[in-house]
Amino acid sequence: MIWLIAKKDFLLNLTSPRFIIGFILCLVIIPFTMLVSIDGFRNQMRIHEVDVAEQTDYWNGIMVYSGVRPTILKTPEPLSIFTQGIQGNMGSSVHIEFGEYPTLLSGHAGTRDNPLLNAFFSIDFTTVIAILMSLLALVFSYDLFTREKEDGTLKLVFTNAVSRTSFLSGKFLGILITLLPILLFCFILSIILILTAPDITFSISDWIGIGLIFFTSIIYLMLFILMGMLISALSKSSSVSIVISLLIWIWMLFLVPDIAYYSSQSIYKVPTYDNIRYSLDELDREFENATNDKWGSIQKELNMDGVGHWNWNGGGDGYDEMYGCTYEANEFHRRLNIWREPMRLNYADKKWAFQKSWLDALAKQERIRQMISWLSPSEIFTQISSNLSRTSADTYLTYMEKVREYRETLITYFKDKSLFSSFTYFTPQDPKSFVKQADLNAMAESGEIDWVHFKVPATWGPDYYKPLNLDDVPKFNHQMATSSETFKQSIGLLIGLLLPGIVFLTAIIIIFMKYDVR
Amino acid sequence: MLKAVELSKRYEDGHLALDALNLEIKSGEIFFLLGANGAGKTTTINLFLNFIEPSSGQVLINDIDVVKNPLETKKYVSFVSENVMLYGNFSARQNLDFFAKLGGKKDLTKQDYYNVMRSVGLQEAAFEKKLKTFSKGMRQKVGLAIAIIKDADNIILDEPTSGLDPKSASELMQILINLKNTGKSILMCTHDIFRAKTVADRVGIMKEGRLVMLRDKEQFLTDDLEKIYLNYMQEAVMFNDTTSKI
Repeated sequence: MIWLIAKKDFLLNLTSPRFIIGFILCLVIIPFTMLVSIDGFRNQMRIHEVDVAEQTDYWNGIMVYSGVRPTILKTPEPLSIFTQGIQGNMGSSVHIEFGEYPTLLSGHAGTRDNPLLNAFFSIDFTTVIAILMSLLALVFSYDLFTREKEDGTLKLVFTNAVSRTSFLSGKFLGILITLLPILLFCFILSIILILTAPDITFSISDWIGIGLIFFTSIIYLMLFILMGMLISALSKSSSVSIVISLLIWIWMLFLVPDIAYYSSQSIYKVPTYDNIRYSLDELDREFENATNDKWGSIQKELNMDGVGHWNWNGGGDGYDEMYGCTYEANEFHRRLNIWREPMRLNYADKKWAFQKSWLDALAKQERIRQMISWLSPSEIFTQISSNLSRTSADTYLTYMEKVREYRETLITYFKDKSLFSSFTYFTPQDPKSFVKQADLNAMAESGEIDWVHFKVPATWGPDYYKPLNLDDVPKFNHQMATSSETFKQSIGLLIGLLLPGIVFLTAIIIIFMKYDVR
Repeated sequence: MLKAVELSKRYEDGHLALDALNLEIKSGEIFFLLGANGAGKTTTINLFLNFIEPSSGQVLINDIDVVKNPLETKKYVSFVSENVMLYGNFSARQNLDFFAKLGGKKDLTKQDYYNVMRSVGLQEAAFEKKLKTFSKGMRQKVGLAIAIIKDADNIILDEPTSGLDPKSASELMQILINLKNTGKSILMCTHDIFRAKTVADRVGIMKEGRLVMLRDKEQFLTDDLEKIYLNYMQEAVMFNDTTSKI
């Protein structure tokens, strides 16, 4: 009986203009959406490959340990083609520094070669599914009972031995088997487009992720069908029902996200990063002043008038690379580093207190936004899809935690190897080759060294040395969560999607049991 | 067999639509229930079909209580409404197929459907045409075909000749006689006193929810049924007028 009613509705739906319009919409929107997303992903991959090559070159050319400050490059998530999530708005790299904890990813945020094209509005696959499927589900279900009642067929159906639960089940199944092929078609079409893109490869975990997004889409679709059925059961006429359905659709798809965004900012204020930066700069200045003081005191210890370098490269975060310095200058730097680098880490911890409170505030604001947006099943669906695609804000925050853990591992390695107190921290020269100031003066007088004509020992230039062998330096090797792990993380949200469905179903059964079929 | 025992229905607004109706329509009998609008005819049908629940009394189909066993009793009853509206995007045959299966007839062939449609006088060319192209008369015939194909013991018709041309109405009556001859109990609510005289085995007149007159064929053939009915109708109209003035 259930199948008979479902089949009847399915056949009637197939020949209806709404099915044809819905199908054409998917046929037009999905390929364009996917092509834009695939193009964006390929651009991200291209940028990533260039960044990786640059980073490899940099890593292979490091001469001193103070230069070991790796840049972590986050590989673009293939599933971002389906759900862009936060990926399109965040950078993809983070530079590890000892003087500051990494907070958020920086670097390339836009995905287009022409940055002016970033103004182009594009939506991803799951957003299209969220909009289209909810609309189609409501369009097919808003008049499920009212239409049959208005046509008089409802009365005729119930002159037969048809239970109301069978009728309800049949009607629900009828819409589901009408829309399920459209949903399946959207997924198959998008997969074909991905498979035809030659340089995109998906892992098994990614395919499972797509399967799970499809599964979530079915639950999302069912929820909106039940919502439409409930509206139809509560409405006196189809015209009332369509108005209510569209208002609810607009509320859920377009108003709730904006309200959630606005409310989260109103409820929980987050200081701008400029304010935090001001505090961090204050600490940086304090550290610089302390370093200058220490600089002077070590000079005094070593009875030095000044610190001269023949060949010096330097940068931020303690990076010094020196050649041809006197023994005293090298010793000066070694002593300075013994004090300065732990102090740098100490100041990084002080700065982290500000950074953490800011990051926590960001996360809290995002959490509030997420919670408010649970008013809309579409937002829950998008959040689940972002989780499954590993492009959610939570995934990024977890990633950054792992980056910070890596920074600690790297620091521990430096401490264990006593690298801060080592000459190798700032020079590749063998300490035995260090020349004392007095000897250097004698060499200059004898003409062995001629400063003016750059006549210096070969050991005073970087070309004399091979880069450091960094094989035993810890590498960042974070495995992103697998699909089953992201699915487990999304179970709570999935329940959030199922729960209203159960409430709607119960309400429909209660209402339809007393529904006047005349 | 259709039976009402002391059957009453009072709606939520307090209106007593049916007042202690006692009625029995036996197998092989056509019963015409006449009455003005609001007399209680449709309420009676709705009670037989379990669309509404009685305030008191019993409704029985083949001696089974409709309220206690609604699904069971619906196996034994077919219904033809005043204005048959089926699925417009289905053909006549598809509509017939759906409702036949809904009525429990699962092994029917296309030819079976065609035969039934022929028997109600539907043109062959219309069998596979979409129902939305049909006239009211053609839809009524499909509605009747649906009732016939269910092969239920009892058939209830709610003013089925309303809006039909005389020829179609006559054909419909002939079909009812044929069905009666196969042993069906037929309850037809109508204003059509002239058809009642020619087709009915018994006639009842309802007024203000009560069955005020009951005549079998021998009686109403000798009585001036039109006059009796018109008197009741007139009283009903006067009553309605008075009520509206009050």
